[in-house]
Amino acid sequence: MSIPPVEDLLRELAPQVLGALTRRYGQFDACEDAVQEALLAAALQWPAEGVPDQPRAWLTTVASRRLVDEWRSESARRRREEAVALDPLPPEASATDDTLALLLLCCHPSLSPPSQVALTLRAVGGLTTAEIAKAFLVPEATMAQRISRAKQTIKHAGASFEMPPPEELPDRLRVALHVLYLVFNEGYTSSSGADLQRTDLTAEAIRLTRLLRGLAPAEGEVAGLLALMLLTDARRAARSDAYGSLVPLAEQDRGLWEAGVIAEGVALVTATLGRGPAGPYQLQAAIAAVHDEAPSDAETDWPQILALYDVLERVSPSPIVTLNRAVALARVHGPLAGLALLGTLDGDDRLAQTHRLDAVRGHLLELAGDLPAARECYRRAARKTGSLPEQRYLAVRAARLS
Amino acid sequence: MKYILMMFGDQASMAEMRSAEWIHEMIQFMQTLNAELEASGELVAAIGLVDPSQAKTVRIAGAMPVSTDGPFAESKESLAGYWIVDVADEARALAIAEHVVAFTEGPLEVRAVADGPPPDL
Repeated sequence: MSIPPVEDLLRELAPQVLGALTRRYGQFDACEDAVQEALLAAALQWPAEGVPDQPRAWLTTVASRRLVDEWRSESARRRREEAVALDPLPPEASATDDTLALLLLCCHPSLSPPSQVALTLRAVGGLTTAEIAKAFLVPEATMAQRISRAKQTIKHAGASFEMPPPEELPDRLRVALHVLYLVFNEGYTSSSGADLQRTDLTAEAIRLTRLLRGLAPAEGEVAGLLALMLLTDARRAARSDAYGSLVPLAEQDRGLWEAGVIAEGVALVTATLGRGPAGPYQLQAAIAAVHDEAPSDAETDWPQILALYDVLERVSPSPIVTLNRAVALARVHGPLAGLALLGTLDGDDRLAQTHRLDAVRGHLLELAGDLPAARECYRRAARKTGSLPEQRYLAVRAARLS
Repeated sequence: MKYILMMFGDQASMAEMRSAEWIHEMIQFMQTLNAELEASGELVAAIGLVDPSQAKTVRIAGAMPVSTDGPFAESKESLAGYWIVDVADEARALAIAEHVVAFTEGPLEVRAVADGPPPDL
């Protein structure tokens, strides 16, 4: 996917301009509308008339003018408008802080995750409402409402456009990382619809996480998340066949994996691990790196993967981590050991609604040679999954054992 | 003219009676069909639903809406998925349906999507 240079530039500048405007004028919601209009104007003018010498200043001026026009039309606010018009724009030295503050504002804890995602893609990612709606397969009017309500929520929560105090920063950053992770996952696994993956969202998640890495270079988990995305996305071409059917990791054509992307991911993991306690993203990235560096499924360093899952389960315990650890355990100590660990998850409410326990159990039962029981597990999992490609994949696994 | 093509039955039961090769062919068939309908500009929506065992029904009990698991209707009566196509006429909608049914061997219901009000009575 090649992005036209003007669009590329606009999306890079969007959060900087919005950040500067919001810092200067407050009123995030009004500034956000004004910047969107400036971006639209630029998208129409620049390809025809050429990019201005100072594109960022151009966008800031146009957006400011829109903002002032908007205020001028509301006569009650005339006095504030005068104050605005008299103040020169502050210097542009803190574009980095502005963009980070903007991201943290869009990922404000008062918003629901879908709203955080939508607002981040628009305000920080510079995507239009139509593009975001298309990516999430909802009507444009619905997405416009979601974004508009999100901006109202931020306003009513009294959230200010400032960097949170240092003691709050880790928690706020964790929410932002989760939002970027959700965007990536939505693109990679497509929670709804028949398409297996929507690469536009994965590319955007990687771009924004790269941006965040530039803003917070010392944060190990930011590097960890970027590495995890790269190491996962590097396998994209091998993950489905020509007809969109899922291909499991063990059966993927590793020649289709992107070596350059893997190298970048591995370098990131290597540089961050061992520098302080490793967080869940760094650990998951380390696991992905072990998979990506294996020449074949048989040559995978499963003891290393098992050791990493042991640490991950201590740092960030969840039934999903236990499920994955059971697979690693089965590869190191045999399927019965893995099945015994799965037994500890029976009756876990957090897994009751998902297909994943049945899917993993089917896999381990197949490895153990109990084919009728494996087939039943695959069939149960096929009925529970919310993904059509996965439903078909599980149906094929079951049918192969008949 | 917009038409909805509704497929009944449940995919899991259907798959359990078929071979792995048939399921692969079915995936290819559906992918190709959707790509063709997209390329011809006729595809409005192609929606697959999860298994009917995941369904819930909301109905009035007393004065309150209450949700319960199910319906657990006969699986052949359950909606499995649908296409909405924007085509020249009913004959074209029926032709698409015939193409699908020739492969799946299960029935498809074809119905026009209702128009808005007429401009002037």
